[in-house]
Amino acid sequence: MSRPAAPPRRDLRARLVRRVELSADAQLLRFESASPSPALPGQFAMLRLEGGGLLRRPYSYCDLDDSGDPFRFSLLIKEVGVGTRALMRLRDGGTVSCLGPLGTWFEPPSAEETAVVVAGGVGIAPFVLFCRRLAEAGRSGIVLLGGRRRPDLYLREEFERFGMEVRCATEDGSFGQRGYVTELLPEALADATAPRVYSCGPTGMLLRTAELARRAGAPHQVSIERRMGCGMGCCLGCVVWAGRRPGDPPEYLRSCTEGPVFDADAIAWDRDPHPL
Amino acid sequence: MSRAEAPAVDLGVEIAGLHLPTPLIAASGTFGYGDEYAGVADYGAIGAISAKGLYLNPRDGCPPPRIWETPSGMLNAIGLQEVGIERFLAEKLPSVRALGKVLIANICGSSFEEYGELARRLDDAEGVHGIEVNISCPNVSAGGIEFGCDPDMAARATEVVRRGTRLPVIPKLSPSASDIGGMARRVEDAGADAVSLINTIPAMAVDVETRRPRLANTIGGLSGPAVRPVAVRMVWQAARATRLPVIGMGGIAGAEDAIEFLLAGASAVQIGTMNFVDPGVWRRTRSDLEDYCRRHGVARVRDLTGAMEPFPPAPEVRR
Repeated sequence: MSRPAAPPRRDLRARLVRRVELSADAQLLRFESASPSPALPGQFAMLRLEGGGLLRRPYSYCDLDDSGDPFRFSLLIKEVGVGTRALMRLRDGGTVSCLGPLGTWFEPPSAEETAVVVAGGVGIAPFVLFCRRLAEAGRSGIVLLGGRRRPDLYLREEFERFGMEVRCATEDGSFGQRGYVTELLPEALADATAPRVYSCGPTGMLLRTAELARRAGAPHQVSIERRMGCGMGCCLGCVVWAGRRPGDPPEYLRSCTEGPVFDADAIAWDRDPHPL
Repeated sequence: MSRAEAPAVDLGVEIAGLHLPTPLIAASGTFGYGDEYAGVADYGAIGAISAKGLYLNPRDGCPPPRIWETPSGMLNAIGLQEVGIERFLAEKLPSVRALGKVLIANICGSSFEEYGELARRLDDAEGVHGIEVNISCPNVSAGGIEFGCDPDMAARATEVVRRGTRLPVIPKLSPSASDIGGMARRVEDAGADAVSLINTIPAMAVDVETRRPRLANTIGGLSGPAVRPVAVRMVWQAARATRLPVIGMGGIAGAEDAIEFLLAGASAVQIGTMNFVDPGVWRRTRSDLEDYCRRHGVARVRDLTGAMEPFPPAPEVRR
C-alpha cells in the first residue's frame, strides 16, 4: 500500500438512499452522489442541510464505494445536537451539501506491521473504511471496540466480515470484557507482531491509548475531533496543541488541515486535550 | 431574453484608487491568507481578498474552544493566531500573489509603533495592494478593539499607518464605537482612503449545564446573518458622515444582502462567515447580483451605492 496523494476537494449534492438504525440514538446513513469524491480512511466531509444549524458539521467517511456510478458513501451519526438531529430526521431521498474529502488520513501499516485499532463509541466511524482497505490488500488486524453498553458497539459484524480479529469491552459488561476498551490494549499489543496503533474515540480513551502505545514502543496515529467552523483551514476554530512532527515544538495546529489524523507523539497531551 | 443577449452589467468598482472587478471582497479571518479555497470557491467572482490579520510577530491565539454556533451566527475568539510579518512575506505572499487578485493586508498592532512598522514593511511588498487597519478585534488584549472604541486612538493608529505607506489605508471599524459617523470622520481626517465595517460584535454564551462560558476566552465576536441589520444601520450612518468609500460587511450570504449594503451606502462589500457555510457563495452572489442589475436596468453596479430611496412621507389626511 503506497502513500497516496490528497484527493481533490469538492462540494457535492448527495442524496440519502438508506438508513440503518444502529441503536436508539445512532444511525448509519448511506448517501449517493453523481460525481465521485474518493476519500482516504480517516478523512472527513463537512455537511450542510436544511435545519441543521448555520455552520457545516464534520463527519468521518465511515465507508465508501467509489467503484462505480453513482458514488456511494456512508456516515455514522450519533445524536448530540442540532446538526446530528437534522441528519437523523432527514427523509429518504433528502439531500445534503457535502464538502470533502478533507484532512489527513491514516498511514496504512507496513508489510511487517500489524494494525491494532482502538475505537470507542462513534469513534469507530473511520475504521470501517480503514479495515475495508486492509482486507482488500489481503491484510488482517486486531480491532478493539468499546462502548457503554452492547448497543454502543456499532458495526461489529462489519469488522468481522473484513476478517479482523474483533475484541470488545463494555462498561456495563453486557458484551465482551467488562470495563474500558483500553484495558484490552496491553494484551493486543503483546499478541500482535510489530503493532501499529490507530485510535479514535473519547479523549480519556485516546490519552490512555497514547500512554500504552508509547510504553510498548508502538507507532500510534490518533484521529482528534474538535468543533470546526469551516473544515478548510480558515476559521482556526478546531486547533490542537501539537508539533508538526514528533519532537517539533507544539503550536496550535488545525484538526481539519494538519489533522484530524495526527501522530500521537506529536500531541502535547499535557496541554491538550481541552474540554470541547 | 437569453443570457447570451442580456446586456453586460459592469460589476467593477473603484475603492481608494483600487479597481476591483467585482464589489465582493473576502473578509479577513475567513479566507486564510488567500489560496486556501482554491479549487472550491469561484475566484473569478472575488473582487479582492483581505488576508488573515497580521501582527509583527507570530501569535498562538486563544486556547480552544474558540468557536460556538448561535442562532443564525457564530461566536469566535481565535485571538489572531497568525504567522507574523516575516513568514507572511516569505511563505504566504508568493502563492497568494500567483492568484492575481487584489490583495489587502489586514494589520493589527499592540502599539502605535507596531502599526507603523507593519505599514512600512508592507509598503513595498509586491502583490499587496492595500492595508486594512484592524482597530476592532474583540479577542486580543493589546491593540484591537481598544483602538476602535476611542476616536483619538483610532485616528492616531490611522495616522501612523498613513505615514508608513503609499498604499490605500482602510481602517476597519468596530460596532462598539459609540458614534460610528464621528469615528469615520476622525479616521478620514487622519488620512484614511476608505473605511470598512463592521468587525464582529463583542458577545458571549454560557453552557448552563457546566455553568462555564462556551469559549475559553469567555468573550468572543459575533458574526453571521445575526448581525446583518446592525451592520446595515452602521454602514448607512458611516456613509452619511464621511466622503470616504465605505466597505460594508456583516452576515452577507447572497446578492440580496450585498445589495442592501450597497443601497445603504457601501461601495463594496465583504463576505466573511458565509465562506465557512457555503464556498459557493461567490459564484451565486455574483450571478444573482448581475440578474438584479438587469432586472432593475442598472448598467453599473456602482450606481447602486447609496441609492436607497427615502421612505415616502405619509399622505396628508384632510379632516
